[in-house]
Amino acid sequence: MTSKLNYLIGVSLKRKIKTKWFVIANIILGIIIAGIINIDSIIMLFGGDFNNKVPLYVIDETGVSYELFESQIKETDINLAGKEEGSYEIKKYDKSLEEAKKEIEEDNKIIVILLQEDKQNTLKATILSDSFLDTLDTQVLTSAINTVKVALALSNSSISAEEIESIYRNATIERVYLDETKKSEDENMEIIVTTVFPIVILPFFMLTIFLVQMIGAEVNDEKTTRGMEIIISNVSPKTHFFAKVIAGNLFVLFQGLLLVLFVLLGFFIRQMIGGNSIVNGLGSEVSKIIANLGETGIASKFIYIIPLSLLLMILTFVAYSLLAGILASMTTNTEDFQQLQTPIIIISLIGYYLAMMAGVFEGATFIKILGFVPLISAILAPSLLVLGQFGVIEFMIAIMLVIITNWLLIKYGLRIYKVGILNYSSSGLWKKMFKALKTKE
Amino acid sequence: MLKVENVTKYYGDFLAVDNLSFTVKPGEIFGLLGVNGAGKTTTFRMIMGLLDPTKGKITLDGKKIDYDITDKIGFLTEERSLLTKMTVKEQCLFYGTLKGMNKKEILKRLDELLERFEIPEYKDKKIKELSKGNQQKVQFITAILNDPKLLILDEPFSGLDPFNIELFKNEIVEMSNRGSMIIFSSHRMEHVELFCKKLVVMLKGKSVLDGYLSDIKEQYRKKNILIKGDVKKKELEQIDGVVEVIEKADEFEVKIEEQKVASKVFEVISNHKKITKFVVEEPSLNEIFVAKVGENYDK
Repeated sequence: MTSKLNYLIGVSLKRKIKTKWFVIANIILGIIIAGIINIDSIIMLFGGDFNNKVPLYVIDETGVSYELFESQIKETDINLAGKEEGSYEIKKYDKSLEEAKKEIEEDNKIIVILLQEDKQNTLKATILSDSFLDTLDTQVLTSAINTVKVALALSNSSISAEEIESIYRNATIERVYLDETKKSEDENMEIIVTTVFPIVILPFFMLTIFLVQMIGAEVNDEKTTRGMEIIISNVSPKTHFFAKVIAGNLFVLFQGLLLVLFVLLGFFIRQMIGGNSIVNGLGSEVSKIIANLGETGIASKFIYIIPLSLLLMILTFVAYSLLAGILASMTTNTEDFQQLQTPIIIISLIGYYLAMMAGVFEGATFIKILGFVPLISAILAPSLLVLGQFGVIEFMIAIMLVIITNWLLIKYGLRIYKVGILNYSSSGLWKKMFKALKTKE
Repeated sequence: MLKVENVTKYYGDFLAVDNLSFTVKPGEIFGLLGVNGAGKTTTFRMIMGLLDPTKGKITLDGKKIDYDITDKIGFLTEERSLLTKMTVKEQCLFYGTLKGMNKKEILKRLDELLERFEIPEYKDKKIKELSKGNQQKVQFITAILNDPKLLILDEPFSGLDPFNIELFKNEIVEMSNRGSMIIFSSHRMEHVELFCKKLVVMLKGKSVLDGYLSDIKEQYRKKNILIKGDVKKKELEQIDGVVEVIEKADEFEVKIEEQKVASKVFEVISNHKKITKFVVEEPSLNEIFVAKVGENYDK
């Protein structure tokens, strides 16, 4: 039995991997993945205006405000917009307001700030732009102008320099969480989970579809050509079923490994182009998230999160493949199977969306319960574990439930498979299958 | 020896095979005949061990057919049971390995059979690229690759031209001479008559006719007389015991109720001077089949 099982696994894998379409599809995948990772370099390669900084011309009629305004703009830009590298190109403008207007006409990105003395308010500012300003730009500029105004007012008062410095010093803020399990580093966890997790679990979702389609297509190919009769007259349905399941899983693991290699290749190319830092140039938002990953302490949790998640995912792949094999045996042609595989894909999709929503609806009982449900749990439980909504024990329960499901699928599914693979008629199908369920080995 | 003993098969409430019995000895070519839905495929599937009989038993050399024995059986299904994306070589390696053969054995036997069936150039071609007739040859090759002790052939001549039918026929007869048991099913009675010495005619799962072909023909009372000469059709029709007179291109086929009517016919035509042919023939299997099936169809 073992040699025939091994042989059938080998044939199934060969039929899938040793084809020119597998090679072509993977070359395309590799190019796309490496391309997405290096998309900024590709965009820049084709040229264009990549200077996104807004030119800010300051006409300082007060004679004392420019330096303070410049430093305030930089500080506010970091605090409000979170941009270390700065969003503005500040320049002291010595020409007249009329000439500044002409500059705006020539380059509509320019914003001109006219700072004037005002007897009542100390400082009066005029903001000139070609059109409406971005809300964030307005906030940054307004905040900086007001700070300059207060500074000027304070310097004109009798308050000492030490007192002024003390006023400007940031307040000491201490964060206290009554829930002892919460740490300040975890505060950004939700955003990390909702941003990073969909990217990490996307390959799982993709591989599930590959797996279901591969098993369904193979079983149906053998059924529709009646090659199944010859195969089953020489190997038992049990051997045939296991061969399909094992081959399907080996295939997705191999394909998964290739995806990881493509990602590594993408980062290698990135490093070759961009220098030492892989993160460099990915955009400030992505860089910040990746940097935060280190700070949040998730990294230390990876030691157990990754192996547990991989185990759950592999067991879930087995569950999906068992289900696909059983359903494929019941169908009489590929078109029927394609219709039947839609609910399987939707189940996987539900898990995908719930994983993204888990961070938003923290502590939701509904999502937590679904985190235990086999097939969905492979995507949902790891995200709940990262968020701290699932402990290791809960995660282990989810794993146990998938193992039990697989055992049930083998025990009862095999009965259906035995009858299904030699059934070519869809009439009275469910009756036949329920009858098969009652039949003991 | 293949022994099918009182085999009955139910699909739910539907009776597919009803108390069927027959034996096939080594070297025998056995015909399993019947109209569509008669229960032939179910019987083949039970012999192959794909289905378990509801009642009765099937044994090959005294042993129940299981996965230890199926390596010795060859099966050619009515539909093309080939995985069309594979090449001829891959397909034969696949089925051959499942039959317990090793790669070297398979390739040696494959080359031999491809030569014999005059298609060695298709060894590395994909099955889907072959014509219907050549696909049938490949299917036949996969069925006999393991030189089976028991060969089941369900409509083996489907899609073949007369030249290739001859090729198949020679191979089947040769295998029978080497001692293989062969079960043959076809809707073409002339093909069955070519090889089968023994047969079963099935209808609605039941056997309506069985035994040696020669005995069946002998027991079948109606005969045919072929007459060539200056005789008139009407004259023949008036003879007592004549069932039907068929006028052919240059002769008459006279169907008579029983053997003794032949002498009455001979008496009538002996008055004519230009009679060049008078032959009393056994009825064809096709006639017997149609008569037997027809007579039992509404029962």
